Amino acid sequence: MAVRTQTLEGAATQSPSKPALHYVNLFLRYLLLCAIGIILFMPFILAALGTFKTNAEIIRFPPTFFPAEWQVENWSRVWNTDLGNGGTFPRWLFNTAFLAVTVAILQVIFCSMAAYAFSRLEFPGRDVVFSFMLATMMIPGAVTLIPAYVLMTKLRLINSFWALILPGAVGAGSIFLLTQFFKSIPKDLEEAAFIDGASHGQIYRDVILPLTRPALLTVFILQFQAMWNAFLPPLLYLNSPDKYVLNVALSIFRQQFSAQWNLTLVGAMFNAIPVLILFFLFSKYYIEGVAYTGIKG
Amino acid sequence: MATYEATVVQSRRTLVAVISFLVVFIVLMTIALFNAPTMGGPRVMASVDTYLAEVRRTALPFLGAVALIAVVLGLAVARVIYREWPNPKRRTNLIMGYLFLSPYLLITLTFTVGVVFFALYISFNRYDIFTPPEWVGLANYAKAFTERDFLQSLYNVLWYSLIVVPVQTAAAILLAVLLNAPVRFKQFFRTIFYAPSVTSSVVITLIFIWFYLRTGYANFFISSFLGLFGIEWQNINWLGDPRGLIQLIVQAFGGDIPSNQWYLRGPSIAWMAIMFQNVFTTAPTFMIMFLAALQDINPTLYEAASIDGANGWHQFWKITIPLLRPIILLVVVLGTIGTLQVFDQVYLATQGGPLGTSLTPVFIVYEEALGTQGPIQMGYASALAFILAVLIFFFTFLQRRFIEQETQLY
Repeated sequence: MAVRTQTLEGAATQSPSKPALHYVNLFLRYLLLCAIGIILFMPFILAALGTFKTNAEIIRFPPTFFPAEWQVENWSRVWNTDLGNGGTFPRWLFNTAFLAVTVAILQVIFCSMAAYAFSRLEFPGRDVVFSFMLATMMIPGAVTLIPAYVLMTKLRLINSFWALILPGAVGAGSIFLLTQFFKSIPKDLEEAAFIDGASHGQIYRDVILPLTRPALLTVFILQFQAMWNAFLPPLLYLNSPDKYVLNVALSIFRQQFSAQWNLTLVGAMFNAIPVLILFFLFSKYYIEGVAYTGIKG
Repeated sequence: MATYEATVVQSRRTLVAVISFLVVFIVLMTIALFNAPTMGGPRVMASVDTYLAEVRRTALPFLGAVALIAVVLGLAVARVIYREWPNPKRRTNLIMGYLFLSPYLLITLTFTVGVVFFALYISFNRYDIFTPPEWVGLANYAKAFTERDFLQSLYNVLWYSLIVVPVQTAAAILLAVLLNAPVRFKQFFRTIFYAPSVTSSVVITLIFIWFYLRTGYANFFISSFLGLFGIEWQNINWLGDPRGLIQLIVQAFGGDIPSNQWYLRGPSIAWMAIMFQNVFTTAPTFMIMFLAALQDINPTLYEAASIDGANGWHQFWKITIPLLRPIILLVVVLGTIGTLQVFDQVYLATQGGPLGTSLTPVFIVYEEALGTQGPIQMGYASALAFILAVLIFFFTFLQRRFIEQETQLY
């Protein structure tokens, strides 16, 4: 344990003959960690407190920390906004959640299928396709943006959720993550199943999927978050108020309530809170997924 | 030996069959795409009848042909497979393999590979979706390099990458090393540190726009801090300030750089404010990757080093950094790809202003494709996207060479 310490503060911490210095060191380290934690979390705290301020207070200089008077009705005002044409807050929340869940489920299904083929089956072209997949990860999103938009226009999918669900249903990053995970599972079990006459479909469903539940959950969570936070594709494809997702609605919000920062911040909080809750509940899966592949929405 | 050679020949033939099937599929998709009726075209959309007539005239024959040829090709491929692969177990593997891959392959070939070829084609055309593309050769590419907006956007993102990538990588390494020490509540700190990275960039950007107001917290913190030393701070409107970094330095010596020499001004204050926000939200993501890599480093290396008398500083530079090199490469490459394509922050915070100092290529691509600043120019927008892509490939290639060469020294 003490060895790791050295990477930071040098040999002094390790030496048992200097306990006083050790505790000073330890104290400084926790102080630093807390300070960084506070700085990194500060925007959320300030914004959350800002949502309860009056508009006059929120743009006054010098800014206050706690609201002078707590304006709880800011939240209900935003919740009850209506942009017309079915553009209401509950609707956007539903759209966002629906898209995120759908895309995440499809990714789990299709990507685990592909990962099964890559990790468990031997067939000609497998390694070529795998390298091809890694190569497609290098294609910048900016290049596919325009032609995908043309394609969606031609398929008459503009202003339809399909425009986001179809291309989002598979992802090279998820397949890569799952393939690595599937490879780490010993083949004994499925060989036994094979001898009993199980087909590939049965092995995939009854052996592999149950064993890899943590990895599947990781993919689900990362893709849920990616879709929830996506901005440019929904901005491009969804253009009527009843189809907006929260991110797009927020950008409209900002134009409509350009001077009313307390209301804009409430909208931002509505967007941030579900993802933050999900993250605090499943932070282990998030972090494993990011550490594994470096992909994040 | 003979069976091995037979297998190789089988594999090659099957591979050729499968690949040619996919190529023909993509080509047909592209042809069908061009001839599909266009939603919203003024002539076609005049009434339901004209629209349906257009569908009957163009789309149905082509889509039908695509389907027919796809089926015929599929059958031909199946025949090849059955003839070449008499062994049922191997054949099952082959068929099941591509069956399991089929959702991925179909979607990627259509929405990633297919559309890239399509984009390459329309980048040589004048195209507004509604009328058929008109071949213009390299005119779109030539135009890109004469438009001030695009040149300025390239200039901006180059500064952006140059500053954001090193800063966020260094910040991520420092955070990771700090968290990798034996501390209690490690999970708790890790979760808190990572929180800015999980929320949507829209949310973070909105909060930061508010911070950057003339009366916002950014000015408040700076003026309070400088106030401790008795220095007066003039509040500035961060996101509306076009003064460049180099320009500010020149101004400090009493000179100035006129706005027609924008390429000498350096990144503007507004642009640097967005850079700061980007570092703030991406550094924690990369911290997680470094943290995972740090946990794989063998502790005995540090033990041996400390016996040899190396202090923490030496250990950090001689052990930690060299062993992190592969991850550093990955983080730098991912960071470059991300920063060169910055969009969300620009769209929300500045819309390219002030004085175009926060224009980015992706933002211009978006504007040209939707025609927010004039006619829809899909071809021109695609050309811009390809120029950006070449730039991204060039930089990732350079970084790979550079960082891998350095690694060989060890």
